[in-house]
Amino acid sequence: MRWTALVLLAGLAAAPPLRAQRSGHEDMPGMAHGDSARSMPIPMPAGMVMMPGLRGLTPAVTPFLPGAGVDPMTLPPARTGSLTRLEDGDTLDLTATLLRRTIHGHAFAMYGFNGQVPGPLIRVSQGATVTVRFHNRIDLPSSVHWHGVRLDNRSDGAVGVTQDPVPPGGDFGYTVRFPDAGVYWYHPHVREDVEQAMGLYGNLMVDPPAPDYWSPANREQALMLSDLLMQADTLIPYGEESPDFALMGRVGNVLLVNGEPGYALRAHRGEVVRFALTNAASSRTFNLSFGGAPIKLLGSDLGRFEREAMVPSVVLAPAERYIVEVRFERPGRYPLVNAVQAINHFRGEFEPEVDTLGMVTVDSIPAEPDLGAGFGRLRSNTAVSQEIEHYRRYFDRPPDKRLTLTVRTAGLPLATVQFMTIDTAYYAPVEWVDGMPDMNWLSTAKQVRWVLRDDATGKENGDIDWHVRQESVVKLRIFNDPRSFHPMQHPIHLHGQRMLVIARDGVPTRNLVWKDTAMVPVGSTVDLLIDASNPGAWMLHCHIAEHLGAGMMAVMYVD
Amino acid sequence: MTGRIAALAAGLLLLAGPYDIALHPTRAAPDARGEARLYAADSPFGVAVTADGRARYEIRINTRGLPRPDSLGAFRAYVAWATTPDLTRWTRLGPVANGRSTVGPVELNKFLLVISAEPDSAPATHSGPTVLHGTSPSGWLQSFLTHPLFRGISQ
Repeated sequence: MRWTALVLLAGLAAAPPLRAQRSGHEDMPGMAHGDSARSMPIPMPAGMVMMPGLRGLTPAVTPFLPGAGVDPMTLPPARTGSLTRLEDGDTLDLTATLLRRTIHGHAFAMYGFNGQVPGPLIRVSQGATVTVRFHNRIDLPSSVHWHGVRLDNRSDGAVGVTQDPVPPGGDFGYTVRFPDAGVYWYHPHVREDVEQAMGLYGNLMVDPPAPDYWSPANREQALMLSDLLMQADTLIPYGEESPDFALMGRVGNVLLVNGEPGYALRAHRGEVVRFALTNAASSRTFNLSFGGAPIKLLGSDLGRFEREAMVPSVVLAPAERYIVEVRFERPGRYPLVNAVQAINHFRGEFEPEVDTLGMVTVDSIPAEPDLGAGFGRLRSNTAVSQEIEHYRRYFDRPPDKRLTLTVRTAGLPLATVQFMTIDTAYYAPVEWVDGMPDMNWLSTAKQVRWVLRDDATGKENGDIDWHVRQESVVKLRIFNDPRSFHPMQHPIHLHGQRMLVIARDGVPTRNLVWKDTAMVPVGSTVDLLIDASNPGAWMLHCHIAEHLGAGMMAVMYVD
Repeated sequence: MTGRIAALAAGLLLLAGPYDIALHPTRAAPDARGEARLYAADSPFGVAVTADGRARYEIRINTRGLPRPDSLGAFRAYVAWATTPDLTRWTRLGPVANGRSTVGPVELNKFLLVISAEPDSAPATHSGPTVLHGTSPSGWLQSFLTHPLFRGISQ
């Protein structure tokens, strides 16, 4: 039950036949030499060409896309996620289906929950328990994971650990209790590289009883960020047997907000908008800002920071959430941008890259009520600090567990191996874009094994056998080894518990917040303090979907 | 051959780590020694960056053997600077003395770390003699435009 990723892959191989688009190169062990006229080219960064030694190669997996043989125009069009308010004891039917999405004028068969992308925005009160009847009506085995929620273990949706995959046509019942206020999300825990990327994700908003839990805002917006990899009018297929893009994860070239490439919001002058931001992308880390409008940071995965703070931008690794408020003081247009520094490996230079995800248009009508004064005030959340105080005595003790993050490869194309050998002089702490899409595309989970290694035992991934006592506090130190074939940042997610990022590279964190996902940059050491209060078998894994698919997961048992 | 040299250089760099900067003395202070390490600046996020995505670092510098500044002329302090590789933009990071100093932040993609003797600890511009200098790890980024791999030649 603990070799989840491999079980998933094996499960997929044994799953009912996929109605998948196939090209001419099936069942070829190792690297396939495709017919370059038939093989699917991938988009390369401007001015960069595919390395000659890689031309004509295709990934060693069978390409597929959802809904092969189905005319997308016969599918119902995706609707925008609607608000679904659930009370304690309510039941929700959540159905994953094929649907039609139109991206830049091109119609595709993709996935959605209840005909929506994102899925329904589920809103509940803190302390509520609801029943969700999941119906899998897509062409892959699936499940629903309630990301960040400290719920009962059997309802975690972690295929291979807490349940078997729900086959196409199958159903599964989840009982979801919400002990913590905050912004959460749900997504499958089977082949996330395909199912989540194709639209199976939605937000959960858990409202606290106190009306002033968050600082006041004129309104609230839930934005789920993701991306898609397209070439002209075509989606780049996925690997049927295992993920492709296994080195870096699939970084899309079409950035999406709530499933659409152009987010739009109209606001009044002086309006304060509270944004709940969720990174639902497979691999991309975002650096968001709002056209220079001031951003106040309120909270993250499981509630509020100790102190509100003004920030120039919001950095979200995959699966992270941040809650911010933005004040649009003057009339005008405020672009929502993702601004990063890409690395051009050809030229050996950084290159600014800015993508506009949407636009906030502010008119001259004054917002009612005027919340400008409150926006300018940065609150200290003493209740958060007081609760954390109980844990401070554990901050300086030696780590209970240590993990090293690394990667092993075998059978990659010679040109990839040669390039990676010489391009090791510098690794950025974070890879914001895919600067080597040709090499990345050709790497599959058959050739790449991402590794969580327990320093104490040398055990790796599914062999790690950690048992901790319920109500214990576990200090976990994670080191992202830069001396590997291709070091990369990893957003590490622990199911079913909450944790604090107490230090980075030995520097204590000054403003704490409870998290379920924490980014570990290349070469960095991150100390996590886990509040192991929820019994059961809980996955610990990298939330880059392709890294998880390439083995990067373990299980922590809270006994 | 080029690949071997690059691999060797990369290996040597990785021995020091991806956040380390080796500092080299100049003829102004030949006995000076030092090294520096980049630490992410304080941030509520997993990594510290500017709004346009440049990494924000504080720098911990360890130096030994710096002579008294006034032994080099009319100088009273040592100051750390970050400058772009083309030396067109200079940012004063803070004062440095023998032992450990923490300076910053620096917000440049690639930069040279320069320590110079100056008339005071907070000069407006860099003007005194350089005593130690080093290159940010990102300065090791190499251009592969002309590498044989991209001309279809395997090693």
